[in-house]
Amino acid sequence: MAVAATAAAHAHGHAHNRLQLNRVGLWLFFFSESIVFGLLLTSRFFLMGVDREHVDQQLGLIITIILLLSSVTAFTAETAIEQDRRRLASWMLLATILLGVIFTVGVGFEWSIAEFNRKEVFGTVFFTMTGIHATHVVTGVIMLFLVWVQLKRGKFSSRDHFAVSGTVMYWHFVDVVWVFYYPALYLIGNVVTPGQ
Amino acid sequence: MKAFQKGYVVAILLAVLTIVEYIFAVNFDNELVKFVGLSAAALAKVGMIGAYFMHFMRIFKTEEAH
Amino acid sequence: MWALRTLSGGLGMGLLFFYIGIGLTAVLRNWFGYPEVWDRDFNVTIGYVFGLLGWVMGMGMWGSWGREWFGLRTHSYYIRGWQRYFTWSTDHKVIGVQYLATFTIVFLLAGLMAMLMRLELATSGLQFFDKSQYNTILGLHGILMIAVAVAAVVGGFGNYFVPLLIGADDMAFPRLNALSFWLIPPVALMLLITPFMGGLEVGWTAYPPLSVQTQTAQGFWNLAIVTFGLSSILSGLNFVVTIIYMRAPGMTWSRLPMFVWSMFVTAWLALFYTQGFAVALLMVTLDRIAGMGFFNADDGGDPLLYQHVFWFYSHPAVYIMILPGLGIALEIIGHFSGKPLFAYRYAVGAFLGILGLSGVVWAHHMFTSGIPNYLHGPFLVMTELISIPTGLIFLSALGTIWMGKLRLTAPMLFALAVIFNFANGGVTGIFLADVPTDIHLQDTYFVVAHFHYTIVGGEIFAMFAAMYYWFPKMTGRMYNMKLAKLHFWWMFIGFNVTFMTMYWPGIQGMNRRIADFPAAMDGINFFISLASFGLGAGFLVFVGNMVYALFWGPAAEANPWGARTLEWQTSSPPPLENFDEPPMVTGHPYDYGLPDAPAHARFGPGLPAGTPAGGGGGGGG
Repeated sequence: MAVAATAAAHAHGHAHNRLQLNRVGLWLFFFSESIVFGLLLTSRFFLMGVDREHVDQQLGLIITIILLLSSVTAFTAETAIEQDRRRLASWMLLATILLGVIFTVGVGFEWSIAEFNRKEVFGTVFFTMTGIHATHVVTGVIMLFLVWVQLKRGKFSSRDHFAVSGTVMYWHFVDVVWVFYYPALYLIGNVVTPGQ
Repeated sequence: MKAFQKGYVVAILLAVLTIVEYIFAVNFDNELVKFVGLSAAALAKVGMIGAYFMHFMRIFKTEEAH
Repeated sequence: MWALRTLSGGLGMGLLFFYIGIGLTAVLRNWFGYPEVWDRDFNVTIGYVFGLLGWVMGMGMWGSWGREWFGLRTHSYYIRGWQRYFTWSTDHKVIGVQYLATFTIVFLLAGLMAMLMRLELATSGLQFFDKSQYNTILGLHGILMIAVAVAAVVGGFGNYFVPLLIGADDMAFPRLNALSFWLIPPVALMLLITPFMGGLEVGWTAYPPLSVQTQTAQGFWNLAIVTFGLSSILSGLNFVVTIIYMRAPGMTWSRLPMFVWSMFVTAWLALFYTQGFAVALLMVTLDRIAGMGFFNADDGGDPLLYQHVFWFYSHPAVYIMILPGLGIALEIIGHFSGKPLFAYRYAVGAFLGILGLSGVVWAHHMFTSGIPNYLHGPFLVMTELISIPTGLIFLSALGTIWMGKLRLTAPMLFALAVIFNFANGGVTGIFLADVPTDIHLQDTYFVVAHFHYTIVGGEIFAMFAAMYYWFPKMTGRMYNMKLAKLHFWWMFIGFNVTFMTMYWPGIQGMNRRIADFPAAMDGINFFISLASFGLGAGFLVFVGNMVYALFWGPAAEANPWGARTLEWQTSSPPPLENFDEPPMVTGHPYDYGLPDAPAHARFGPGLPAGTPAGGGGGGGG
């Protein structure tokens, strides 16, 4: 039998601070992702300056507030599991998932009522930026759901909950992206109608 | 409870900043003022989220090893 | 048959998910009312994303990682013998060898393509290929060699030797490391099938609008590059965390071997800039398959945006390629000069300086692209500023050689050649950084000669230096030193004759990337082609020597070179956990010839008094 379990072989492999390594790795991942988002944001200013076309302001504000609310529930979930309050954590994870889904639906609705098409430059920028952000929201929802399933199965405690904190940190990161994307797409500059 | 409270205070500040951003952007016309103001607000929000929601300082903690 | 089992799992799942992906796309296209359900680029892109997931999961990511996401028990196995190289191994030494073997093969393939190009360019007119075939060969040679230059040293020697050099037992994230490698085969597949899917016609830079409008296999190429970028970012992340937190006790920053320093800087560059390439090609992909208008000037887009985003990565990329090469050169020169490495701190500062400067020079690739005039000056100055940190690296190398007792083994010869060649490449770079000369030299063979001097002369020579230096450690066998030196002189002379000559047609204005040239340049091009065939033939010596040594070479000692660093203080090849006893670093790695210098490291439990802490500011050990 040419197979042996790795655990025994890597005898002194657990001496390092695994939690710290994971946290730093996750932050570096955020750092690296923020370059992707930053390049798209820069492209938006490169192509259009601060000009934008008309978008539905109320809808924009509503989905932003929803995302902020989901951040609060995610924060509550993480703090709850740190104090071993599993029931609260579970409900808060579910609330976060729900708010994430509502946000995604909101973006989809925004797309369907948009007054520009994807060929023209604002459409290109708008659909790409909101699209790649929404992709991350959907990924986050899936991750939150998987974490919730594990929580229901009795995993995680105040001593061991990196999966919860990591996912919640990812969720906050997606929120951070929106903190920049929302003003850049909805608020900055003044409305310019194409052809003028 | 204290851990929760700190987060909620931050969340309220974020919400206030967001609303202020919105009102500011809808009511002002000067592009430069808007750009600078909105950028400053965004950076402040990101600082708060990073420090209190994402716990940036925890990456320097080592004592939680099991 | 573990290898067969794993590979068939990966291929099976990959294909299954691929077909599910393209099928699903067709169904959705039908549902959303597209006139046709099949659009090659569109369906293949979505199918590829699915297939990639299926491939890595089937290769073993599911068992060792994915199950964890669903709260299931994960399992990891250690397989002995040759089969482990074909499985999802998390051992950094196995992954290093996987990278090296893959990219050696890719290197030889892409080299063969260079031979084909020189065959066509031996005389003016078209003899062997038509223009689109030539473009395909050119583009593939370019991108495959870029891949080799980015990943062979970083992924191969970096994975194998960074943990050994810092006294760690593995990388910080072993499963992520395995993932980084197993993302590579789909990249190779997507690139190598392009000639059968319509070819390529944009070269490795893929500038729009041509890359958006072309009906060739551009879509496949985009997917390959985005995947390759992902792999590169993940391994960069892994190196940063490993080097910060996994250092053995006593391995302070000022005792870090030069190769580890260069890898540290390289990893930051990969982590910070690779997104540029991926985002640029994401935009091209969106323009191609979703009808968006990033680069469509009719509707307000701007093709120049692509060049900015692309060069935002691709200029730092040349430092991703060259810095590990310079690190290897300093490392080897340090060990074979019989005296301490000169100006260690300045060399480290130089690496960090290049890290800082590399991100603010990209537009020197665009002096003739129509960027505003006010950008010319700043980018000219910034580009030339880079010569200061680079000069410090030369200072360190030359100061170490000066009055040293050089041992001219094959690795040392290659390392010295790195310094020689890179000096040539650096000096000719000044003409390309200066706007007035660059406007004349842009897109000529002068540029081709220049970057081959930096990348081949700098990094590929360093790759061979590292191969000859670490071969005994990796395989436990020794190669034939005479043949290795023969390979060195053959490659050194062949390379210099080929590319030194190439400056001349460049100054005359001969365009690069084009299958044909004016008949007046027949003579010199024929000469370059002959020289390049000579250069190419030299690699047969290398392959023969290595293959023979791998199977029939004499057993190597643990420390054939008498080097001080940690990787030589363990057996050849190292055991799974790298060191039988945990290492403790007690001295500087390059203190050769100093009678009372402490050893670089000692082994066993218990720290000597006053040993500084290693990684993580106190964790470690």
